[in-house]
Amino acid sequence: MALTKEFYRALEDIVGPRNVSDDPAVTENYRCITAQSSAHSGPYETRTPKPQAVVLPGCTEEVQQIVKLCNKYKVGFKAATTFWAAMGYIGNDNSIQLDMIRMDQVEVDAKNMIATCEPFAIGATVQVEAMKNGLNCNIAGVGCSSSTLAGSAGWVGFGPSSISMGIASENLLGVEWVLPDGEIVRTGTLGSDGEWFCGEGPGPSPRAIFRGWTGTAGSMGVCTKIAIRLHPWPGPKWIPTRGAAPMYRADGLDMVRAYTVCFPTWDAYAEGFRLFYEADVCYLAHRQFNMFGRDIKTAMVEILTHPEKQFRDLPEVMEDPYIKAQNDEMKIDVQVVVAGLTERDLDYKEKAFDAILAQIGAHKSEYYLQPDIEDFVKLYLLRLARKNYNYTLCSSYEGNFGLSPNVFVAAPLMEEASALKREWEQTHTGVAAVGGDSDMGSASGIGGGGTTGWEFFVHFDGFDRDSITDSCAFIDRTQEWMIGKGLGADMGRWNADARKPDGYDYSQEEHDALYAGLPQPALAIYPWKIREAFNPNHLTGTYMKTMTPPEVKAAQKAKKTQKK
Amino acid sequence: MAKKTLYDMKPVKGYEKKLEDFFPMERRCSNCLGCKFVPFEKIKSNRFGRNCPSVWYYNFNTYSARGRFQLGQNIIEDGYVKFEGQALDAIFNCQACGACDVACKVTRFNLEPLAHNIALKERAVEKGLAPVELKAMAKQLERQKSMLPDAKKADRANWAKGLKLKDVSGKETAEYVFFPGCQYAYDPILQKKAQTYVKVLQKAGVDLGYLGNADMCCGGRAKQTGFRKEFEAEAQANAAAWKKADVTKIVTPCADCYHAIKRQYALLGIEVEVVHAVELIADLVKAKKLKFKKNIDLMVTYHDPCHLGRLGEPFEAWNGTEKKILNQIHTWEPARPRYAGTFGVYDAPREILEAIPGVRLVEMERIRENSWCCGAGGGCSVFSPEFSDAVASERVTEAQATGAEAIVTACPWCEINLTGIESDNGTFMEVVDIIDLVAKAL
Repeated sequence: MALTKEFYRALEDIVGPRNVSDDPAVTENYRCITAQSSAHSGPYETRTPKPQAVVLPGCTEEVQQIVKLCNKYKVGFKAATTFWAAMGYIGNDNSIQLDMIRMDQVEVDAKNMIATCEPFAIGATVQVEAMKNGLNCNIAGVGCSSSTLAGSAGWVGFGPSSISMGIASENLLGVEWVLPDGEIVRTGTLGSDGEWFCGEGPGPSPRAIFRGWTGTAGSMGVCTKIAIRLHPWPGPKWIPTRGAAPMYRADGLDMVRAYTVCFPTWDAYAEGFRLFYEADVCYLAHRQFNMFGRDIKTAMVEILTHPEKQFRDLPEVMEDPYIKAQNDEMKIDVQVVVAGLTERDLDYKEKAFDAILAQIGAHKSEYYLQPDIEDFVKLYLLRLARKNYNYTLCSSYEGNFGLSPNVFVAAPLMEEASALKREWEQTHTGVAAVGGDSDMGSASGIGGGGTTGWEFFVHFDGFDRDSITDSCAFIDRTQEWMIGKGLGADMGRWNADARKPDGYDYSQEEHDALYAGLPQPALAIYPWKIREAFNPNHLTGTYMKTMTPPEVKAAQKAKKTQKK
Repeated sequence: MAKKTLYDMKPVKGYEKKLEDFFPMERRCSNCLGCKFVPFEKIKSNRFGRNCPSVWYYNFNTYSARGRFQLGQNIIEDGYVKFEGQALDAIFNCQACGACDVACKVTRFNLEPLAHNIALKERAVEKGLAPVELKAMAKQLERQKSMLPDAKKADRANWAKGLKLKDVSGKETAEYVFFPGCQYAYDPILQKKAQTYVKVLQKAGVDLGYLGNADMCCGGRAKQTGFRKEFEAEAQANAAAWKKADVTKIVTPCADCYHAIKRQYALLGIEVEVVHAVELIADLVKAKKLKFKKNIDLMVTYHDPCHLGRLGEPFEAWNGTEKKILNQIHTWEPARPRYAGTFGVYDAPREILEAIPGVRLVEMERIRENSWCCGAGGGCSVFSPEFSDAVASERVTEAQATGAEAIVTACPWCEINLTGIESDNGTFMEVVDIIDLVAKAL
């Protein structure tokens, strides 16, 4: 369904001719190849629909005009920033894609410790601007290449820094949002005179309406600016680095220490997380390098910190007696950064941290105490620049299991989940054989010591059809296991009811059928009412999980009968 | 003296790579955003955080390395897109500066965005779909052995008039052959700088010769723009001339020539020792054969030319295959060179500047392997001048932010493209060839 010339010309009038294109070279590039991405779903060739045009708005007013135009012509639209996963792409043929790349500004208000960010301000750029002012921001676990706005306004945003700074959505203060009908809403700081700020004023939370469940499910138009809370940074105006490319390391961060903690048991691990949170001793805490896999993680760090080494050296490095012994010690581990605003503060935190380790029988990994390795880890965790290592082994990965966010619920299940994955690795060749346990995630959110991010990484080859098929089958298997354990859906299937396997949105009728058996239908009916109020033309996708209320359905049926 | 092993036209494995050979890479790109930014841990500000001029200027994803991977897949593998319209625009509006390549290789071991971008250009050129300005450039190369529009082969050696240079195309021999490259050979202003290079090197006792009229274009720019056959013809002709003249060592003041001879000729199987003039001068300064006596009171910033810096790494021949271990982990057997910008020429020009009394070097945010391109690469200054100028302006703006009074560089293409360009605030900056500072300080 091609756009009318009138519509296209109107788009050009809004953003200028060079910022809109319907050339296939552009529009075909805004289709997510789902099998290749971490939104790992569907068969090899599945792509999301082709947008009728791609538009690059430069400011909120342009976004508003585009949205109003879409409403006038009943053309769907979806905005995205980094285009990393399928959720940012349009879901039906009669739609346009907004790429927010031109809106990339960050402004820091050092006095009030806030930053306002446009959509294409990524974690790295927000952080560097914050650090110039002695401040820092939470970077979601997905890494600093992700949009701070999308992570904060549209997702949960766990990350290494969440233990001291909170998760992304907790740091969200004000929001500027172009609603699906083109109205602009501003909340929090952006809605006040700037004298004081908070997430919302009194009354019902509009943020929940915009965000929906974990944000992306909101599908409520286009978020164009946010304000986030910043946090103290006990370091220089930028992170100094040393080392030959690409083996960069942090340099001279005297008030920051990085450790890898080895726990004797999963019980000790859970207790350690609780105590880290309660004692307020960690600046960052993340089970990070285990994402490579329990058997290979230390060898991988060894390879990644030596420019002359490559993956072909992996078996040999794994067999190195020292590396093997170190790796064996840290089966159950977490990477931690301890930082002090003053020497006294750092001294206290170090002592408290050591006392916790003694209490639970944990210890610091000797391997990670080597200055060069410690500085690599500092830079890794502070900037979260290397989250692309998710892909380095095989080119693709999928987040899997997504065990309970409560560490005391999930920890006792870790070995069973690991065994399930290890067995799959041994009997199937589609996923990398890295030792079963490839769990990673943040140690805590500031909202509670038990809040923990969990995710197993399943590494597969996005070029290899068998690898894609096999990894999909593994996720189906873990889905069964998760349901059997009463833990809910597998992480790899969280969005299964938001977008169909063919890459298209569900129709309302299909969603109605899917949710017909819900034990609590109000969970889908209430969002339907919100959607109808804010998005009357249904122009922004079906990530918002809605079910037509029975009375409306009956009325629709009666109307149809009457027509006949 | 290294034993010479000249041109035998046995390309090393990988040289003949066709666009179809990139299918695995196209599918294995993970859309991580790495190719749009300076490696994330090296970003110092939002203002100067981007690395790819093409997607920075055009904004559509198609103009990024990731976008070109998907474009390649769309054109060749799936047939969704044809070589026309904005596809050609995105393919050719790439400076081939390699910033995406280096950023990608920070985390990935099996992707080659730059080689893929050039393969796209080559396929378009094969189909006769290059921009007309580039076609004219290639024609000029064929006729006059230079891509510069007004160059005439007969005038090639004019730059050397009055110099006491040995002509090694005859009976004379020299340890080093000075290979000026087209810009230094033909541009009236740059000709004087080429002469200065020669005089400085001779003053330090370097046994220097040149090829007289047998000298010609290196062909590097032809390679960058997708004119592979034309590049090969130049390489073959140069190698033949060097062989005839018994050339073993080449010194060039041009970053493009340096890269072409060091990396691209090596892929063709042509082995000859090449150094950039700044490497030689830095060594001469260290050996005290060049002594700076005069004070130059100047605060400068140094612009790393792409082809001297991140693309100037030593060539390593590789003949191997992909192998998976632990089910799905990609490896290469034997180990494959990674070219992550680690071993480019960064220190030599800085050592020279730091040795000149009175010169204070202040660094820009994007330096060394993460340097921002001057905008001239990939033929963009010829067929896409607005884009090229915008990229240059971005660099001048970044240089001004350091507080420096002048930009120093070691590449004629960069020098030309940055000169006379307005920064964001509408002002200009002096652009200095490093040899002028060297000569002034002696």
